[in-house]
Amino acid sequence: MTAYYAPKTPAETLALLSAHAPDCALLAGGTDLVPKLKSGAAAPGTLVYIGSAGLDYIRQEESRLIVGAAATWTMLAEHPLVASCAAVLAAAARTPAASSPGVKNAATVGGNLATASPAADLATPLLALDADVRIHSVRGTRTVALGDFFTGPGKTVLLPDELICAVSIPLCGGISVFEKIGRRKAMSISVVNTAVRLVLEQGRCREARIALGSVAPVPLRCREAEDMLIGKEPGRELFQACGAEALRACSPIDDAAATAWYRRTAGAALVARALGRAAGLPGTPEE
Amino acid sequence: MKYMLSFTVNGAPADVAVGPTETLLDVLRDRLGFTGAKRGCETGDCGACTVLVDGRSVRSCITLALTVQGKAVTTVEGLARDGKPHPLQQAFHDHGASQCGFCTPGMIVSLAELLEKNPEPCRDDARAAIAGNLCRCTGYVKIIDAAMAAARSPHKKGGPA
Repeated sequence: MTAYYAPKTPAETLALLSAHAPDCALLAGGTDLVPKLKSGAAAPGTLVYIGSAGLDYIRQEESRLIVGAAATWTMLAEHPLVASCAAVLAAAARTPAASSPGVKNAATVGGNLATASPAADLATPLLALDADVRIHSVRGTRTVALGDFFTGPGKTVLLPDELICAVSIPLCGGISVFEKIGRRKAMSISVVNTAVRLVLEQGRCREARIALGSVAPVPLRCREAEDMLIGKEPGRELFQACGAEALRACSPIDDAAATAWYRRTAGAALVARALGRAAGLPGTPEE
Repeated sequence: MKYMLSFTVNGAPADVAVGPTETLLDVLRDRLGFTGAKRGCETGDCGACTVLVDGRSVRSCITLALTVQGKAVTTVEGLARDGKPHPLQQAFHDHGASQCGFCTPGMIVSLAELLEKNPEPCRDDARAAIAGNLCRCTGYVKIIDAAMAAARSPHKKGGPA
């Protein structure tokens, strides 16, 4: 028999987690958890609903954008601070390619990260933005770089009594672009997705981020490919080589959505296109 | 274990004792008799169960009932006003936008949210609004025609939010 709690504050949530973990599931939008409850794939003794725990905020704290774990995809898509401080996150949240309005009104940023799908569409933009995850428990608080947060498909560094309270994004410069390929134009799990960020200075790349999803056990940054860009002038050939290098860091698999070969080939092209859009290269296809 | 759920459906208060894993769709259809929201895929993909919670569309089949505690739920039954169909309902009728009709309530509720947010949508806006509403009869063109006709109507705002 399942027990249900709807705490009103983060502190109450942590106390409940501490008392009931590990036989306890956090419920936010429920878009992943509820189908599992219905199929029997998940049967926690206790459900803790965090949708009314004061975690659905988006605010600026000095030079960081702080997104509460229970902020929904719709909030990310519509909030002016996200549009101005983390436009690539807003773009990923807005695209119909990821999901429908009815799911985005419920699904949360914390849920997207905690579920730890290799194809999570918010993970790559947050990796490109150097985001940190703020994790709380009754034992204390820790901050984990998103690049260190995922440990495998469906697995993260979160301990059973820990709660993602927020995602913290530095107000970093540059132009960022999100691209994804799915099986359809709407409501489709990513076959491959990428987010890139370029900081250009006097016509050369001063800083670069390339994140890829759905091509490895976890969403990841491709540091060798990023390093290829530093100090170079943007150009189509450089970006194509960089896309190929980025996919060398990956280990895509064959599954129902696509083959590994397709993911590798399309992923390299997608990275090159995203970099072209970020650098404003003429002739780069639009979204 | 049962918990008391108090919320409003189409403006009227409702109090129901529900289990933690009962869905909003179960409560609306089986306990309160609002059968407008349809039971389709049961996994949040098809959109047939779409209702509004505080004005936002959600998938009632994957929304646990207890999470709407204190909130205002609007089903397709609540969109008519003063005995007159919602402009979207009238436009669906006028444009032949229902074939078998199973997807129609979800389509209309999703489009009602769109018209509240964006009173002058283009066809692509309407397509994006129903990106998660599947019509097995594939009558999408007439559904979009109806949405655009409703958007031109002077009375496009719906019933209780």
